[in-house]
Amino acid sequence: MAQQGSSHPLKTSLPETYAAVNAQQPPPSHLYPTQEEQDRYLAGRPGATQQHLEVALQHAQQIQTQKDAEDAILNRILELIELPSSPSADPAAPSQEDTVKLKYSLAPFRPSDYDNLILERNFEDLCGYALCPRKHRRQATGPRGGFQFKYGPKGSGPGGRGRSVDIVSQDRIEKWCSDACAERALWIRVQLSEKPVWERRAGDTRGTTILLLEEARAKRLKAPAATSSVSSVVDDLQSMGLGNRDRSGELALERGDTSLVRPDGRVDVNIRENQGGSQQVAGAPQMRPEDANGGSIEGYVPRERRGADQDGDIDLLDQI
Amino acid sequence: MDGDSAHSMEAEREMTRLWRTFRTVYELLADRGYEVSDNELLLPLEDFRAKYSDPLGYPDRTKMKIQARPTETMKMKYTALPSKANPNPQPDCGTIYVDFCPDSSGVGTKQVRAFNHLVDENNFHTGIFITQTPISPSAVRLLSGVPGRICEHFQEQDLLVNITRHELVPKHVLLSPEEKAKLLERYRLKESQLPRIQISDPVARYLGLRRGQVVKIIRKSETAGRYASYRWVI
Repeated sequence: MAQQGSSHPLKTSLPETYAAVNAQQPPPSHLYPTQEEQDRYLAGRPGATQQHLEVALQHAQQIQTQKDAEDAILNRILELIELPSSPSADPAAPSQEDTVKLKYSLAPFRPSDYDNLILERNFEDLCGYALCPRKHRRQATGPRGGFQFKYGPKGSGPGGRGRSVDIVSQDRIEKWCSDACAERALWIRVQLSEKPVWERRAGDTRGTTILLLEEARAKRLKAPAATSSVSSVVDDLQSMGLGNRDRSGELALERGDTSLVRPDGRVDVNIRENQGGSQQVAGAPQMRPEDANGGSIEGYVPRERRGADQDGDIDLLDQI
Repeated sequence: MDGDSAHSMEAEREMTRLWRTFRTVYELLADRGYEVSDNELLLPLEDFRAKYSDPLGYPDRTKMKIQARPTETMKMKYTALPSKANPNPQPDCGTIYVDFCPDSSGVGTKQVRAFNHLVDENNFHTGIFITQTPISPSAVRLLSGVPGRICEHFQEQDLLVNITRHELVPKHVLLSPEEKAKLLERYRLKESQLPRIQISDPVARYLGLRRGQVVKIIRKSETAGRYASYRWVI
């Protein structure tokens, strides 16, 4: 059945390719074997029913969809290698056209597909970030596949002293042209969905709404500022009227406190000393008669001593 | 002076390694059933060096291109049984083309696309792309996605030694469709009831087996002398 499908270009759930198929071949039934073909197929197999054939066809369609999706992803990787459109493009301020293309193309990607894209771009001597026209870094020294120390800025070490040191494998550094591009590219990677595109549901927005790092930063700046001065915090607290007696009573009720809150904000505490305990002072241990031979150990009297006590069982061997 | 000799030593080593790969490729072609002459099979290192080295003594991979035509036996093995729909089947094999990729690192879609184009343009039936390093996953998919043509990939180091000449590897013989039909009839089997062999199996890759073929595996047996088993390629 898959061969049946492959003679026609595409059977797919991707909107773009679906539209293309529909433009070329008006009836979707064209992709299906005709009734006559189905009958002929069933005639040769006595055990098979129409239901079997339909199940088989459905599975074939699903497999075809997967293949189409993988082909589409491959084509998009090939397209994205060509980005950005101008060799002087700035990765920090990409052109509108490239941005739209990148976001559109990345929609069916999984993180592993994105890694393939980065790999392909590096093979073409380009930075792994799709909107960057520069070459990727090349460390001249050291053997390939080694590790390197990477020093952070001054004051980034533990406790704000010295520099932080990372040990990074060389090919991870060499994927990008700069740390900024690495950040941009990986920022996109974490937004991609792990689910393959043919398993995604219609309402799944993860992976389809991708933000570039610059856009995300701009958005965060526009949002109400999280940081504020000390005086504004004080003003805010005062405006809440926490010191107000009635208000605090209300708040206490709201919390579910049952006891009344004292006006000065503290709980009534009475300290009472513990009295009436035994006043006896423990005396020193005294000698008792049974202690002469060492006494018993928790009720057990050792045998040697027991024999001596009872004056019996004299060991004859000792006497001979 | 020292640098020079170190260079020539390295060139010599690379040359020898590539010569072994090159000979394995010819053995592979002969084992698959292509027309290969004895001169090509037993090419000495000196001749190889004279023919394929650049002025610095390093191997020049751009010169190393191989073409071979299938023999009559091979054509017979690759011809499907005549059926009602296709009473006069044509052999599903043709000229093979082997290309050594000269890039020493980073073989991706660009090189594979060029290779695919070359195979398509010259109307080769099969292409074998040999690289020094592994190729990227997208390149693998691109290589296998040429409609109507078969493109395979090997790494040079995979072919350094001919694995089928190892004593622990039993002899694999491809059955023709006719022999396969006879086998199934003799044992009253459906092909899906045979043991299987993966298409990615090293020997299956070496022989270029295709899905649905049956391969006969002949082992030495202490009790029976020879023991044959059959496997369905999947």
